[in-house]
Amino acid sequence: MKKLLALVMAAALVFSMAACAGNNTSSGSKESSKTESKTESKTESKTEESKTSEGGDSGKLVEINLPTFKAGENVGAVFFLPQVERFNKMYEGKYKINIEEVPQASYSEKIKQLAQQKKMPVLMHTGVDNEWFKKVAIPNGFAYDLTDWYNNTPTKKFFIQDSVEYSTRDGKLVTAPAAVTRPMGLFYNSDLYKPEKAVHDMTVDEFIASLGDSKIAFQTADNAWCSMLFLSDLVANEEGGIEILKNNVDDKTSDFNQPAIVNAVTKLQKILQENASANSVGAAYADAANNFMSEGSVVILNGPWMSADFAPDSSDKWSNNFDGANVHADLLPGNIGLANTRGWGEWWVSAYATDEEIELAKAWLDFVNSQEELEAYMLAEGGSCPNMEYSENFLAKQGETQVLADLSAAINDKTQFTPSILDIMPTSVGETEVGKMLPQLIDGTLTPEQFCEQLSAKAADALA
Amino acid sequence: MSKIKMPDKGKRVRASKLERRDYKWIYLFLLPSVVMFLMFYFVPILTMFFTSFTKWDGFNAPVFNGLDNYTRLFSNPAFVISVRNLIAWSLIGIFLHVGFGVLVALILYHKPRGWKFTRAVFMIPNVISAAAWALIYKFIFNNEMGVLNNLIRMISPDFNVQWFYTSPYAFWAITFTWLFYAVIVTLVVLGDLMAIPEELNEAARIDGANQWQITTRIHLPLCRNAIGTSIICTVTSRVAMYEAIQLTTAGGPGDDTMNTPLILVKAIMDMNNGYANAAGVVMFLIGVIIMVIINKVMKMNEPVY
Repeated sequence: MKKLLALVMAAALVFSMAACAGNNTSSGSKESSKTESKTESKTESKTEESKTSEGGDSGKLVEINLPTFKAGENVGAVFFLPQVERFNKMYEGKYKINIEEVPQASYSEKIKQLAQQKKMPVLMHTGVDNEWFKKVAIPNGFAYDLTDWYNNTPTKKFFIQDSVEYSTRDGKLVTAPAAVTRPMGLFYNSDLYKPEKAVHDMTVDEFIASLGDSKIAFQTADNAWCSMLFLSDLVANEEGGIEILKNNVDDKTSDFNQPAIVNAVTKLQKILQENASANSVGAAYADAANNFMSEGSVVILNGPWMSADFAPDSSDKWSNNFDGANVHADLLPGNIGLANTRGWGEWWVSAYATDEEIELAKAWLDFVNSQEELEAYMLAEGGSCPNMEYSENFLAKQGETQVLADLSAAINDKTQFTPSILDIMPTSVGETEVGKMLPQLIDGTLTPEQFCEQLSAKAADALA
Repeated sequence: MSKIKMPDKGKRVRASKLERRDYKWIYLFLLPSVVMFLMFYFVPILTMFFTSFTKWDGFNAPVFNGLDNYTRLFSNPAFVISVRNLIAWSLIGIFLHVGFGVLVALILYHKPRGWKFTRAVFMIPNVISAAAWALIYKFIFNNEMGVLNNLIRMISPDFNVQWFYTSPYAFWAITFTWLFYAVIVTLVVLGDLMAIPEELNEAARIDGANQWQITTRIHLPLCRNAIGTSIICTVTSRVAMYEAIQLTTAGGPGDDTMNTPLILVKAIMDMNNGYANAAGVVMFLIGVIIMVIINKVMKMNEPVY
């Protein structure tokens, strides 16, 4: 009897595991399985739930789950979650979006796994793994063609033409194009650093000279974000540098031995050795930001979304008498703004969603690209919408946020926008390799030429 | 006392009816493990072997490219460094990590005062994940606020070393994240030590053996299988070591602390899944070869008593 009982239990274990493996849900979460069951292919049989949700016109609620990393502690959650609530309220009884929190590091993997089963969520973020999106998702027809929506949406006038062109592949609009560009620049603590003129009007040498002994918050860990933004500026200030940055975003490059990059790396080495904050080697982004917000350094390079860290309600992140009110923003030396307008928009839609879900997705895209929502977004996370005539209310509120007003004022007709150098590196090189090599550049183990040679070799290996 | 009749060597012995009935149950109880092995290990391993000879992005159909992935892998300087690191870490693991674990087991075997408490404390690091340890060590070895450098600065105020980010210290900093956490070795060896019949110890003492001789001539040889098992565990852990490196140096500075799993993950990031699986096959083969060698050297298939 005991043997029989044990056997039954063992068999139950095996079959339960087999059943789990047989379920097409990668995350195993109840929410995702619900979403996935709803996102069955239109060509396949619809699920029971989808069948009962006969679209907005019939008065039935269409409900989807939206896996997103803009939740929880993610900096994007502050604006995004209330935005979803606003959408749900606006379409109460018709459409409903439920948030499913996914860690940012796992988001791309989750979407890839769901894509293998053709059970992606209805709405997905772009920009997480551009290479996969370009090489797998688009050729395999995973992205719903948004051309009809684009031609009929009242928000069409806001979209950036570069993004529309970039998002159009083989005549299909595979992502909702970007309407807002968020040029990255630098933030400085005016309590400790008082430049004689605007930073964007300075050359790199003038900027470094103006710093004196003051430090810049750099980092080497992960993708060495802050350091790479500065390197991008240095490259952009070299002859032919902007062209290198602009022309290699699509296919990436394995040639970092070009004089513009070698010269820029030579300058970066000196700056890292003389003007980097004490914790730069080994620092991740959080360490660099913490260093800046504890007055260990006077300058940090980042995008306008960092403005939230300088608002009074983020004062728990400040120390050593740091006051967010003293922070000003500017574009980078040489009047450079780091922004890639030739890129995807933020959202793409699953080609396997049902008609009702597609209607919901279109309503969402109309909603997030409406003037009110775009203005709210820019007030929260910065950026500019080149094709929009801003409301007076927006302009007044933008002026209240010092750093956003600074960035907006810094942009002029001579400003040059360019992608970051991370945009032209293969994924693994940008995400890990460059960060691994920076400590050796700083301690002099690698010369700038060797650094560029090794970077080229790593990139060639990644692209092979 | 009746003699146990042993079967002639090479002669097949027919199982009795009772034994055959037991076999049925044995096979049935083995079934879950076999099914799970086939589902979760065997099929992925076969897939890994097959796709290692292809160019594959992980989604579209793989395209056969012969030995290209292996040629690339073996000519990759990072892989050469990975193999060198693996050999060094394996030797350190065998002699220092396992040696330390065995030493602690030998001490605990004599049940000194507080031995149970010591065993429990020694166990604590093992319940902390490798990822957490990596982060703890990142703080310990931090140049600015790390415990180690601050202690050294008490003697030498100008001391500055970025342990995880400078050659050749990074290799040793990584080594220290696992070197002394040898509780598994200790428990396995202690188990074997506890199983040694007390009569053997008494007989040795009667014959005039001192404690050193008892330890080296009786205890250690009788723990041969446990030590062999520990060595296999230690070395295969080094083959698969990922979190401790990724969360501290990510294989840097340069490629100083590279390991094959990092090459594998990096290849997946670049959607070179065929290449990643070639790295996986090499890891698999290294693991098998190590097991075979250690089995032979430690004579693990031969009876100890």
